Amino acid sequence: MSEPKPSRGMGDYFRAALACVATTLLTLPLHGVVDAANIVMIFLLVVALVAVWLGSGPAILAAFGGVALFDFFFVEPRFSMAVADAQYLITFAVMLVVALVIGQLAARLREKALLATRREDEMRALYDMAKLLSGAVAAEQVADIVRDFLGSRMEIDAVLYLPRGDDALTAIPARQGGDQQQAHVRAVYEQGQPMPLAAEESGFAPALALPLVSSVRTRGVLLVFSEHAERFCAAEKRPLLDAVASLTAIAVERLHYGEVVQEVTLGMESERLRTALLSAVSHDLRTPLTVLVGLADALTLARPSLPPSAFESAVAIRDQALCLSGLVHNLLDMARLHTGKIVLNREWQPLEEVVGSSLKAMAGVLVGREVHVELAPDLPPLEFDAVLLERVFCNLLENAAKYAPKGEILITAQVAGDVAEVAVVDAGPGLPPDGEESVFDLFERGRHSGAGGGLGLAICRAIVEAHGGRIRAERRAEGGTRIVFTLPLGTPPVLEEEAGE
Amino acid sequence: MNDDRPLILVVEDEPQIRRFVRAALEDEGRVVEASSAAGALEAFTGPGPALAIIDLGLPDRDGVELIRELRTWTMLPLLVLSARSAEAEKVAALDAGADDYLTKPFGVQEMRARVRALLRRQKVGAGGTVIEFGNIRVDRAHRTVTRDGAAIHLTPIEYRLLGVLLTKAGRVLTHRQLLKDVWGPGYAERGHYLRIYIGHLRQKLEADPARPRYLLTETGIGYRFQIQDYAT
Repeated sequence: MSEPKPSRGMGDYFRAALACVATTLLTLPLHGVVDAANIVMIFLLVVALVAVWLGSGPAILAAFGGVALFDFFFVEPRFSMAVADAQYLITFAVMLVVALVIGQLAARLREKALLATRREDEMRALYDMAKLLSGAVAAEQVADIVRDFLGSRMEIDAVLYLPRGDDALTAIPARQGGDQQQAHVRAVYEQGQPMPLAAEESGFAPALALPLVSSVRTRGVLLVFSEHAERFCAAEKRPLLDAVASLTAIAVERLHYGEVVQEVTLGMESERLRTALLSAVSHDLRTPLTVLVGLADALTLARPSLPPSAFESAVAIRDQALCLSGLVHNLLDMARLHTGKIVLNREWQPLEEVVGSSLKAMAGVLVGREVHVELAPDLPPLEFDAVLLERVFCNLLENAAKYAPKGEILITAQVAGDVAEVAVVDAGPGLPPDGEESVFDLFERGRHSGAGGGLGLAICRAIVEAHGGRIRAERRAEGGTRIVFTLPLGTPPVLEEEAGE
Repeated sequence: MNDDRPLILVVEDEPQIRRFVRAALEDEGRVVEASSAAGALEAFTGPGPALAIIDLGLPDRDGVELIRELRTWTMLPLLVLSARSAEAEKVAALDAGADDYLTKPFGVQEMRARVRALLRRQKVGAGGTVIEFGNIRVDRAHRTVTRDGAAIHLTPIEYRLLGVLLTKAGRVLTHRQLLKDVWGPGYAERGHYLRIYIGHLRQKLEADPARPRYLLTETGIGYRFQIQDYAT
């Protein structure tokens, strides 16, 4: 579809001339029958019609031509430009002025009508494009629709640049652009202002980079280009180009939000699945383990009591079932911690409390062991998840009990700079050389491996790191292992003074 | 012939768990079983049970909801069975009115001890005006606390906190319940107040505050005042 033009070149002037000649031929027989003034009227009518149909230029030609022909064929002496009666000069002058004025007015009217038609046409085309864009589901489709529109309406080519992943702008359809062009597109993307590019800058043709500005941010860049720069540079083209850019921005933004929604839905779905799986596994394992522990325990308490060998078996079954249960819990904890989405229930509390509850929880494992607790008196309350930190202490105490079968266990804590440093120390054989770091890796075991070691330390690391702390293992010079972890001190909340104290 | 023994209701959907719980509690009372919340409510149509053990993972209804409903018309002791790493569930059950909880898997002796404590409390209530534990003596009539005969000064809040814990001795009290009872409803979210004041009480009352014998922490849930060797 080519754009309608207000003036159609020499053809129209020829047609205007033809109209004047035809009018003369048709009115010649009327000479002497009607008054010359009426002939003048006919000529004026023709000028008006020429103006409406052919535009202002041909109308001017028709005005002059009309006056000349009228003089030549209808004014005495006929068939000569000479004028016998001088008052016809007034007729000519009035005729010419009226013809010119009518012609110009009519021509302007026509141009306005043409412009309105063109605008309406543009609007319809934009509307059609918007409708197509609203159905687009991929960036490639958006690019195709925009390129079709610009190609057919303005005979220019275009490329869409959209940020992908790491915010790098990717061309759709893919094309090799020079570095300079990339830099320009980037600048337009960042500044949100359109920028023209000369042919040497773009590397192939004069171009114009338009930012795709949406309500929130710049969503990309539309680069239009053509060998004929005037096709997009002319001022009257800009409103259309701006409209195209806005529509494209809306379409790209819609696609973006669509992707976001999809990602969130996917994330929620996989999170839901994981949680469902974990709780199903933990329920299915817990029930038989609870039964096993309970039944074996009931056997050990049966009256009359079992014969010694059966009693020992019952105790062993109970202890192994408890051990298995601990392992299952560790695995489930690890799975939960490894999803990376642990919600810490952090609260300000004294460390002493969680040390005490851990010692109580591990009383069975620590039977016959001496455990010393040395917490610095100036240790402020810390912000941590008590349940998880209890897991850390329990795992460290269990490890100490397991890998250092004798000697005392020491728990210390003090302020060290802007962290609290907590240590669990045993007097066991110590770590293997170079084992200081790997001991925290998943499924790593100490030399005296028991059932499912290692996992406990990996859990400790995950929990401590989730609290913003670090954990490390040290070989003690005097023998034994010292596992140290830190917790950030932060600023404890201020307690209101107790009234009436 | 054993009709005077207390009736213990066990609400648990897993038959094997019911089996060993029943076997373990034969000495404590008569056991009736229910495998669902509906069955549990039915068990109250006859002579009411003296204690109920409720698994929180029931097939037909949320265990916490069942507790809430029971609490609208009965004060019988409720012992809850729940999984580890389900602290929120336990807190919800306790806040709804449960008295104590056991984490699966649990030993028979521990369960017996809890059941006995709950049944006993039902009988005798929460002691007289003078309560003694370890070397501490609390005289609630005169509002004095002594340690080996020497007076210990407690601030009003410390005394109130100790009072609440003593009144509900043996019972697990959630952070929320304690904050509400001692500080008032506006303080339900200020867990650090409670922890700091429990720390103060331990400093004043416990021989080794890091390893308390009486003021026990139920990590992630709340506190329990444990009176050991109480009538046994």
